[in-house]
Amino acid sequence: MEDTRRTITHYERELQEIKQNLLYLGALAEKAIANVTASLLDRNSELARQVIEGDAEIDKLDTVIEEQCIRLMALRQPIARDLRFITTAIKINGHLERIGDMAVNIAEKVLQLNEVPQLKPYIDLPRMAEIAREMIRGSLDAFVREECELANRIRRMDAEIDTLNEQIFRELLTFMLEDARTIHRALLIMQVSKNLERIADHAKGMADMVVYMVTGINVRHQWPGDPDDICQAKREES
Amino acid sequence: MKGRLFLKIFATYLAIAVLAVGIVGFLAGSQIRAKLEQQIGSELMAHARIVDLYPMKEIQAHVGEIADIARARVTILDGQGNVIAETDPEAAVLGSHLERPEIQEARIRGSGSATRYSRTLKEEMIYVALPIRKGPDIVGYIRLARPLSDVRKTIEEFTAILLQSFLIILVSSVVVAFLFSRKLTTPIRDMEYFTERLRRGETPGTLMIRSSDEIGQLAENINYMVDELQKRIAALQEEKAKVEAAFSSALDGVLILDHQGRIETVNRGMWNMIGERYRDLVGKTPLEAFRNLGLQRALDQYRSGGMPVPQEMELGEEDPVMLDVSITPVRGVDAAEGKTMLVFHDLTRLKKLERMRVDFVANVTHEIKTPLTAIMGFVETLQEGAIEDRETAKKFLSTIARHAERLNRLVEDLLTISNTELGELHFSFESVALSGIAQSVLHVIQQKAGEKKIRIASAIPDDLPPIRADRDRLSQVLINVLDNAVKFTPEGGTVSLSAAPASGNEVVVKIADTGIGIPRDEIPRLGERFYRVDKTRSRELGGTGLGLSIVKHLMTAHKGRMEIESQLGRGTTVSLYFPIAGNPSPDSRS
Repeated sequence: MEDTRRTITHYERELQEIKQNLLYLGALAEKAIANVTASLLDRNSELARQVIEGDAEIDKLDTVIEEQCIRLMALRQPIARDLRFITTAIKINGHLERIGDMAVNIAEKVLQLNEVPQLKPYIDLPRMAEIAREMIRGSLDAFVREECELANRIRRMDAEIDTLNEQIFRELLTFMLEDARTIHRALLIMQVSKNLERIADHAKGMADMVVYMVTGINVRHQWPGDPDDICQAKREES
Repeated sequence: MKGRLFLKIFATYLAIAVLAVGIVGFLAGSQIRAKLEQQIGSELMAHARIVDLYPMKEIQAHVGEIADIARARVTILDGQGNVIAETDPEAAVLGSHLERPEIQEARIRGSGSATRYSRTLKEEMIYVALPIRKGPDIVGYIRLARPLSDVRKTIEEFTAILLQSFLIILVSSVVVAFLFSRKLTTPIRDMEYFTERLRRGETPGTLMIRSSDEIGQLAENINYMVDELQKRIAALQEEKAKVEAAFSSALDGVLILDHQGRIETVNRGMWNMIGERYRDLVGKTPLEAFRNLGLQRALDQYRSGGMPVPQEMELGEEDPVMLDVSITPVRGVDAAEGKTMLVFHDLTRLKKLERMRVDFVANVTHEIKTPLTAIMGFVETLQEGAIEDRETAKKFLSTIARHAERLNRLVEDLLTISNTELGELHFSFESVALSGIAQSVLHVIQQKAGEKKIRIASAIPDDLPPIRADRDRLSQVLINVLDNAVKFTPEGGTVSLSAAPASGNEVVVKIADTGIGIPRDEIPRLGERFYRVDKTRSRELGGTGLGLSIVKHLMTAHKGRMEIESQLGRGTTVSLYFPIAGNPSPDSRS
């Protein structure tokens, strides 16, 4: 204990602080999604309004983290792994901020949906929200623990979200085809679903960056072969 | 260790010896030399003066004898310094000796002496010279000389003695140093060994050193210190054990954060609270570990304000626990350590109870209000003239009666529950044969089942041991369960009643139906008052929402228990476990 305290430098403490702030931002984003889902399921408009108001805190923290990162880069000139950490932090920060905005988008739709009778029981939407939250949490876990495999597992979860989104789309389509009066509500629900799908994309983007941070390899767009091989190779290398 | 101390003492002794011998050698050596030279000089001078008493001629004639007597080399010079006679033939050189210092001195002062190197004899010599006078004139000089080798020999002898004594001192100082250092180091080594064992955490007992000097005093002090130390360690250990026992057995969860804000310790109470939801807490910050906004806000608030902050929070995703956290600093010896203690108090049960109470009041009000509204509605209609129409009035009255009956049933159920809860319901336990009760109960149910074309199957073996039960309550239990089974089984289904001995001196009564079933998540909540799986449907079927709650209470009063298994759409099996009569079940002893 004694020794670790002495060896922790100011620089490391700054890195730690960025990490902690990102986790806090992640928790805020997660909470926003949880609240917006609850507001949809319980038809609780008050909760939806809270989510819209809460975005200000997310935006504020986003600026703080970005400033911290830029400061660190300017003053310390990080290299190699630290540089990758900082770039990853900046990117994750951006993703989380966008996720917060999408939670606000959903909240706005929920406010409209709560004004009209419920079209159908929501089953897939909460499932999507749950997976999206899990992806955010998992990405941040992978980021903090620098776990390449966990990041890859999160990246694969995106497919499930896409499937659910398509499923919801098809289902709503049948509603709309049967009864034109449902179109307004169905479109709103579709936008909720679309936003959740986008949130998952951002979470996947965060996981991509974690893989990059750990291995130095960019897997964001297309990567031939099994991504876990990269993690394996990296581990053998070190 | 010992060697070094020995060397130190030995070197000190040696240095003292060398210094002493050196000083003695140097001082005495030079003294002896000077004394001897002086002595030889004066001896020679004495001889020379005696010889000088004789006239020149005499001296010249007796040079050899003079030399023998004086044990010296004798040289006679004339007034010009030329050698007239010389005892040492080797030294007979010509030329004037007038320049020699001793002759010069003799000529001027009347006597002369010198110690110098003789070039003729190639040796250091002591010279003494006197002028030979004839009247006032110096007619010649007599010079006596003796080599210094005598002196050197004497000094050498003295040096030899000095060396001998030095050697003796050397040997004796080795011995003394050895003995002394051993005497000095043995107790020190004992102490060293003793303290080393102490340092390793052993209990070395008492240091046994009997000595009245400083070392003895030191040993005594060490003993005293060890004694004190051990007392304090024992006291601390006891204190620590107490704190640890409190820490680990406390129902409240405790987290201790180190100076960096990372989790250092987690007590058992904490694990019991959070269960499987979180793992590997140690070494993480609370934010990393829990990702909980409420907790983080409380921590931030605490850190910025430094004041203990109480805060309610929810932990966990599914089936969350409600916790109340209070944050306090751990006041350690070192203020810089800055540890923080988070104490969590589980509010889940409390919140649930609170919720149940609120729900209960709302439910009771609702349940009573529904039939009451109906009754009031019909009464009003009757008052407004419907009473005139005999047919309608009759119909209305029967509806009113039905609702009143339902109200009555509800109040009765509530009374039963509250009485069992208060323990005011009186049971008369006796040995009861299940088959008899079952028959009468089935008789009641049969009618209702018949309306829905539900088949009732009963399989109660005759040799079933009698159970310990209250007859009336037992039938109430069975009716409630069977009534539920019939209610939730669609037309043409089957409800079966069976019984069998179970392990642990119990009899199990199983009531199985082929009904709609109950979702798995709902099963644990079935005993709650007014809890209905499908709210609208159950009320349509005339339930009060209290049936199973009553069964649960009555089963507890019977020291039995109820288990429910169900598959959605396939049916439900309710198992009721009763203790066998006369055979006190394990819990009836308490």
